[in-house]
Amino acid sequence: MTLDKDEVRHVFFAYSAATDETERAKYREQLVQQYIGLVEFLARRFRNRGEPLEDLVQVGTIGLLKAIERFDLSREVEFSTYATPTVVGELKRHFRDKGWAVRVPRRLQELHLELTKIVGHLGQELGRSPTVAEIAEAAGTSEESVLEGLEIAQAYNFTSLDAPIDTEDGGSTSFADQLGEDDQHLEHLEYRASLAPEMARLPERERNILYLRFFKGLTQSEIADRLGISQMHVSRLLGRTLMKLREALED
Amino acid sequence: MDTVSVSIPASPAYIQVVRLIASGLASRLRFTIDEIEDLKIAVDELCAYLTGSQGRDGTLDLDFRIEGSLLEIRGVGNFVAGQKARTELTEFSRMILETVADSADLSQRDGTPTFTLVKSKQ
Repeated sequence: MTLDKDEVRHVFFAYSAATDETERAKYREQLVQQYIGLVEFLARRFRNRGEPLEDLVQVGTIGLLKAIERFDLSREVEFSTYATPTVVGELKRHFRDKGWAVRVPRRLQELHLELTKIVGHLGQELGRSPTVAEIAEAAGTSEESVLEGLEIAQAYNFTSLDAPIDTEDGGSTSFADQLGEDDQHLEHLEYRASLAPEMARLPERERNILYLRFFKGLTQSEIADRLGISQMHVSRLLGRTLMKLREALED
Repeated sequence: MDTVSVSIPASPAYIQVVRLIASGLASRLRFTIDEIEDLKIAVDELCAYLTGSQGRDGTLDLDFRIEGSLLEIRGVGNFVAGQKARTELTEFSRMILETVADSADLSQRDGTPTFTLVKSKQ
């Protein structure tokens, strides 16, 4: 039951005029039905970030409800134009807030993001991996906070291999694009039979990091440079990967 | 030589605390971030043998010894009777530990599983 433009306007009028909550709920439902396709369309743009599409549609629908609530008919704007930034905003906020596997206080999230930058910059400047004291000084915080911030890295979720990452020049690319072809050969390794299938199941990027660290002997900072991600991200991925393999071996 | 001792429940949930202590002490020794990250990987790897992925009844007792620019961590699993931990490193673990630590060892000592981990500032 798709409504045409005039019918939609009519429902919006009826919705804003209605005072009875049951009646309002009925109109609201009609409007949601009308625009759920828009939400699904927008949610699909976020589907490669490791969350089920249905969940994203639910999050997007919250944005849609907010937009319906705030829409002003007197403005000469199409509702879909008006609603799009609200729905996208809701989805982005979802990833920002829920992207942390463990609930992390905002203060620490911000600290973590700042540290990620500082570790990268200092590394470039010093030509070696920085110490905690150096990072603390650059960040204007205590060594304890830095250690806490580094530990927090472990709480952050994986992003998908195809998730876009920001590049220095403001453009965007995906991890998959950044991976080289030549260093993927973990086959040299005579690993135990029980480990092989687990290795094979690992995402390419994780396998590559494992290879660069333990077979090529690159440090985490060097791997970070090479893959164009932060050292803390390397730390996180490596930690998770080793844990996965450990659990697989234990069984 | 300074020593810090701590006893945690033998559960993977508490390994994070061990990592934090290890990195705090390593920071005192002016380890770089890369060295600290390596140390944390080694701590994870060895502690995981003692706690198992499900945890065990008992404690994991750790001594952190600082000597010069060297940090030695010894972990002992004190479990209730019947709880056992594997004390033979897999090839894979051995390879990881060789990369991230100066030396690492896991064995059965006086009937209790024990690891020793050494890492120094380069």
